[in-house]
Amino acid sequence: MNQPRILIFACKWCGLIGADAAGKKRASLPARFRVIPVECAALVEPDAILRALAGGIDGVAVLGCHSGGCRYNNANHASIKRFELLKDLLDTTGIGGERLLLSFGTAHEYHQFEEIIENFFNELAALPPLDPWLSPFGVVS
Amino acid sequence: MANITVFLCRCFGEIDNAIDFDLLRKELSKDTSVSSVSIVDSLCLEADIEKAASQIKETKADRVLIAACPTLSRGNLPVDGLIKEGIERHKIDLVDIREGCAWIHGNDPEGAVKKAKDLINMGLAALQHKEASKDMRVSVHPDALIIGAGPAGLAAATSLAKTGFKVNILERASAPGGMLRLISQLYPTGEDAADKLNPYIDEVENNHLITFYPQSKISSIEGCIGNFTVQFSSQGEDNSIQSGIIIIATGAKIFFPTGLYRYGEIRNVITQMEIERQFLKGSFDAKKPVFIQCAGARDKERPYCSTICCPASLKNAMRLAGENPGSEVFILHRGIMTPGNVLEKYYRDALSMGIQFICFEEEKPPMIMGNDRVEHVEVYDAVNGITRKIETDLVVLSTPLVPNDDSVRLAQMLGIEVDRYGFFSESYPMHPLETKMDGVFICGSARWPVASDQAILQGRAAAMKAVSYLRQREIAASTLSRVPGPKSGHARVVPDSCTGCGNCVAACPFEACHLEKLEDRHISKVDMMRCKACGNCVSVCPNGSMQIPEHNYRMVGEMIKRAF
Amino acid sequence: MAGFEYICNRKKDAVLVIGGGVAGITASLDLADAGQSVHLVESDSHLGGQVSKLDKLYPTDHCAFCLLWTDVKKCMEHPLITVHTLSHVKELKKESGKYSAVILKNPHYIDEKKCIFCGRCVEECPAGAIHPGWEHAWPPSFVIDESSCTKCGNCAEVCPSGAINMELREEEINLVVNDVIWSTGFKEADLRHLKEYGSGTHPDIMTSMEFEDWTAEGGINKGEIVKRSNHSVPQNIAFIQCAGARDLRMIPSCSAVCCMHALKQAGWTKRRNRTIDCYIFYTDLRTVGRDYYRYSLREFEGTEIKLIRGRPGLIHPLPGGDGIAVQFENTLTRKRELRKFDMVVLNGNIQPSLIQYRPGQDEKTAIPPMDKEGFFNTESDETSTFACGFGLEPADVAESVIQASAAAMGVMNKETDQT
Repeated sequence: MNQPRILIFACKWCGLIGADAAGKKRASLPARFRVIPVECAALVEPDAILRALAGGIDGVAVLGCHSGGCRYNNANHASIKRFELLKDLLDTTGIGGERLLLSFGTAHEYHQFEEIIENFFNELAALPPLDPWLSPFGVVS
Repeated sequence: MANITVFLCRCFGEIDNAIDFDLLRKELSKDTSVSSVSIVDSLCLEADIEKAASQIKETKADRVLIAACPTLSRGNLPVDGLIKEGIERHKIDLVDIREGCAWIHGNDPEGAVKKAKDLINMGLAALQHKEASKDMRVSVHPDALIIGAGPAGLAAATSLAKTGFKVNILERASAPGGMLRLISQLYPTGEDAADKLNPYIDEVENNHLITFYPQSKISSIEGCIGNFTVQFSSQGEDNSIQSGIIIIATGAKIFFPTGLYRYGEIRNVITQMEIERQFLKGSFDAKKPVFIQCAGARDKERPYCSTICCPASLKNAMRLAGENPGSEVFILHRGIMTPGNVLEKYYRDALSMGIQFICFEEEKPPMIMGNDRVEHVEVYDAVNGITRKIETDLVVLSTPLVPNDDSVRLAQMLGIEVDRYGFFSESYPMHPLETKMDGVFICGSARWPVASDQAILQGRAAAMKAVSYLRQREIAASTLSRVPGPKSGHARVVPDSCTGCGNCVAACPFEACHLEKLEDRHISKVDMMRCKACGNCVSVCPNGSMQIPEHNYRMVGEMIKRAF
Repeated sequence: MAGFEYICNRKKDAVLVIGGGVAGITASLDLADAGQSVHLVESDSHLGGQVSKLDKLYPTDHCAFCLLWTDVKKCMEHPLITVHTLSHVKELKKESGKYSAVILKNPHYIDEKKCIFCGRCVEECPAGAIHPGWEHAWPPSFVIDESSCTKCGNCAEVCPSGAINMELREEEINLVVNDVIWSTGFKEADLRHLKEYGSGTHPDIMTSMEFEDWTAEGGINKGEIVKRSNHSVPQNIAFIQCAGARDLRMIPSCSAVCCMHALKQAGWTKRRNRTIDCYIFYTDLRTVGRDYYRYSLREFEGTEIKLIRGRPGLIHPLPGGDGIAVQFENTLTRKRELRKFDMVVLNGNIQPSLIQYRPGQDEKTAIPPMDKEGFFNTESDETSTFACGFGLEPADVAESVIQASAAAMGVMNKETDQT
């Protein structure tokens, strides 16, 4: 059985609240995800996502606020567009856009976080393991 | 070599019953950057925080890693406590191993201990590469500037002056009063607009703290909270003033419905403003007036309700009915917008006075019939399903308020935003009078069409918001965060590698980046008073020249490397 | 004296803010930011008021808690604000320009400053009386529901941080304050004596606040829209506007918020389950704020919410309990209809929370003059009565916080007048 690993960038004002609430409710998720809290989804560089995938992490999730709910004057709007472009890039390079999960304003309750991450685990498990040679940094490092 | 002290919080057994702390300690002591690992019962209690602080001082640790619960729970207590004990913020990091590890993976002790180890490793990486943003303090100019001397602006000015602040008011017209000068009575009290206005004008004239600049035109606004510099001309003379905050109360403009309902084409089709002008001169003789609501509002061009036109029609309809006994007054509407207790009662008063209300549909607007003057109005009565022919001698069109012509220009000068209709917009719904620029407040009809009593309320509320800034002698950039606690940092440019491409300038949602000349090229510069550390600039920078020190590229890279 | 020096130098008595909803929180924060110390009294176990019971807010479709919790946290942490939760004002007297107040503070058996939210007490409680107060309250803490607690003390024994003390008794706090701001908010009126709405006769006939709670994303159904009677998905929902409101028998005024509230609820219902038909029965669709009209158009066009102008004359459960009959006349088509709905949401029956307030025998609280509908009448005594929020006049979140800031300014100006 493929055991995918996930890196989550969670915005402090939405996704992280969901992650914390899931913990408070003792939701049981596989211990194969790590959360990096960020002030805003805009702070997540597409580059960092590529690095993560290059480093052998199977999937990256970005959890941010819903459009219009950003505390940084819609900074997340721009980031949504960037991540959509990044998805295209991942598709083109053969890594697959499905390895990047975007959730804006849909992960702020415990059950939503649980559901989203569980689904993502299942989706990734169905994918073949990531070939390190496909990843943009795999060759260099 | 880094010298990091790690505190593992047991949380009274909540964490260590899922995570094997002995194993964790063993693993951690292999790390050369860790100088000591201590296990504590609960770091959020004051006694333990004090103990931890003294231990840090004794061991002369460079940096502190706390593995406990997240900030949303009680994790900020040890962090804040240690900061209070004199340890710098960027030298402390908090890793969540309770909600994010022990609790969520309670049934997988092996996975949990591995995850805890990884999370702590990530925290160690973060600590080693975390840098501190510079802070900046600016002194606050204690004067306030209010743009616009309508009811909202006057209320803001007098409130601030009463509190003891010096206030400058810039007004386009030659006298204060704004829209209140154009109308005769106020709804729902029936009070004369002049009676409402005069105390404010007296205060403006007599209070030595208020300076009024009539006929003024703003040419430029520079600076940010604490120190705005405004260049303007008043009565033809160029002038410049400094202010700590700016309150925008420029009001709105009346829409003239040229072409609608044959306005401007035949006589006796007038607007609410014209009827107000007549009332100011004296009484008005109309036996069969018809009011038409939403003339130019709630349509494709202006898809909004302007709030004040329904009650204004009720006011003038009741006045006409009262002054001309035996008259028949009709209001043709698309739903009467009188929310609340006072206005709903006002509506009931109008009904009991015998004013007739006819509901029409957007697709079937009333038709104005007559050759050179209006003779009757034909309207499809949607509720009764018949077309009615109403004989009339006067048609009054209720037109919406529309944004001022120069609102966009003013917004650009200030760096704030206007909504899709052109009114100034707030940045956050819970703080409806604050804009995305700290120290710039909006109130009155410049924000959204409101009646004078609401405008006065908003003016006072905006003044209150301003007080909290004006009372400070100086403001530190790091405190302008709008969320609990200080700002997470400020973006920083590496001048050597910045190519001046301007991506950050375009991406910044707070207009904090601009290009500045450095020798023979341009580089980006960040205004710390405006930067909110959202990181948009960091993400769009093509070569990593823009960084937030607290969340820099190397730190994130190291954290990702150690994530599994 | 210049403004900031004056404000910085004065040492004055505190201001009492009664009611810890959005208005009370904003007024307290504004005053505290201006250097005024504040006592904030809230009857619930946490700050936030009615907005903390809402799932979403119009017109941005924000989560309500998201806007609220940061301000709640600021309020709880502010050095100049003393928050009294589970408290009410027992006595309030005006004496020589000042108020003396007695605040009755019910015990928080669980000290929220010590509770680590481990939940061991919940497992031990035989009566099931312990639950988290509000998911997003800060600091996160469990609350003992006094009405079902048997005072067995099991919880105190298992609490690892010693946060539980069942020995605590209610205490009285005596305060002298300079001013009082009333921000007591609204409550739902009981619709049961208006028989035609069928309130209380069937579990699927609910008020809008009940519906909000029932369908909340963080609530018991995790955002799913199901019937309360048998947990099946309803085919259609009727949102009845002006239920009890704009009605001289009960609440003559318009609540100003429920048109948008219904549009929001219908929109979210559609967003979560497109198969559910939503009907809104309105009198006038009052959409006066920024983007409100657009919000109504959006719901109308994009999601096929049916708007029917008319107030149902009869809402009655069908025999057998499956479904609710609604009889109405569409006043724009002049057709009388009788239709079966699976759920009925009654909207508009909100009124000031103090409307039925009658001081008890041992209570002497000087509440400001109110009109018949329970709204504070501040005009009669403009210089000393400060009110904001729904208790002053029907207002949504944005209007409430504006009123709160204006009331705070009133307090500041009055303070200055005296010197």
